[in-house]
Amino acid sequence: MPSLVSYIIVSAALLGIGIYGLSVKRNAIRILFAVELIVNAANLNFVAFARYMNPPNVTGQVIVFYSIAAAAMEAAVGLALILVAFRLNSTIDVRKLNKLKG
Amino acid sequence: MSVPPDITFVVLTTVTLLAAIMALQAKELIYGAISLAISFIGIAGFFVSLDAPYLAMLQIAVYVGAVVVLILFTIMLVRREEADKDETGETGQSAAGLWLAGLLAVSIAGIAALAGPNLPATPPPGNLPVSQLGPVLAGAYPVPLVILALLLSGALLGALVLAKVDK
Repeated sequence: MPSLVSYIIVSAALLGIGIYGLSVKRNAIRILFAVELIVNAANLNFVAFARYMNPPNVTGQVIVFYSIAAAAMEAAVGLALILVAFRLNSTIDVRKLNKLKG
Repeated sequence: MSVPPDITFVVLTTVTLLAAIMALQAKELIYGAISLAISFIGIAGFFVSLDAPYLAMLQIAVYVGAVVVLILFTIMLVRREEADKDETGETGQSAAGLWLAGLLAVSIAGIAALAGPNLPATPPPGNLPVSQLGPVLAGAYPVPLVILALLLSGALLGALVLAKVDK
């Protein structure tokens, strides 16, 4: 069985991919992808640490249970917001959604 | 005869990370969404390898079954040329984002590797039966569970109100 460090490294790589997408992409749906990847990296860490605790502890899995539910509603609200933004501005390019800019 | 765990780990890592990169870099957004689903399935595989089969099932049901399908519907509702218009900023910005992400990931991985000798190399014996999950979920944390339920219905109603078209 792989060590805990290898799980942390996979999770860090996933976080890095997510941060890259979050900072570089301009399409709002793509940015939502990046957020979901970051949430998944965190979930993976929780489950890995829960398994490697001595004795194994189930609380990490419970937190991930909450996290998955929270991510589902975040996606629902985010996609609704993207739809509204598209209807009002006919674009989902986040650099063009700058009506609040002073 | 079962597959050695190390090979499983390497395959899962490759699939998850490649699919995550494809999700962000695919030319068409719809392929990106499908790559995202593959990446989520890879994470579910990690959950199975970490003795969390219930969470793996939840991950597939909620992420692949609900979130990705919702994303696919949104992509179809947003005009095609608009959805695919990409996207990445100027090259300098793209390089800066790459540096930021790489630095962050490498520093976290480096810290983990430095702490490696103090972290357990093999999981302790014993496993986490699904039957343990329920008592902790409803027994130790009942209030967050109720708040989560209210929040979930509130968020779904809010999404409905937002997306409604006024006649």
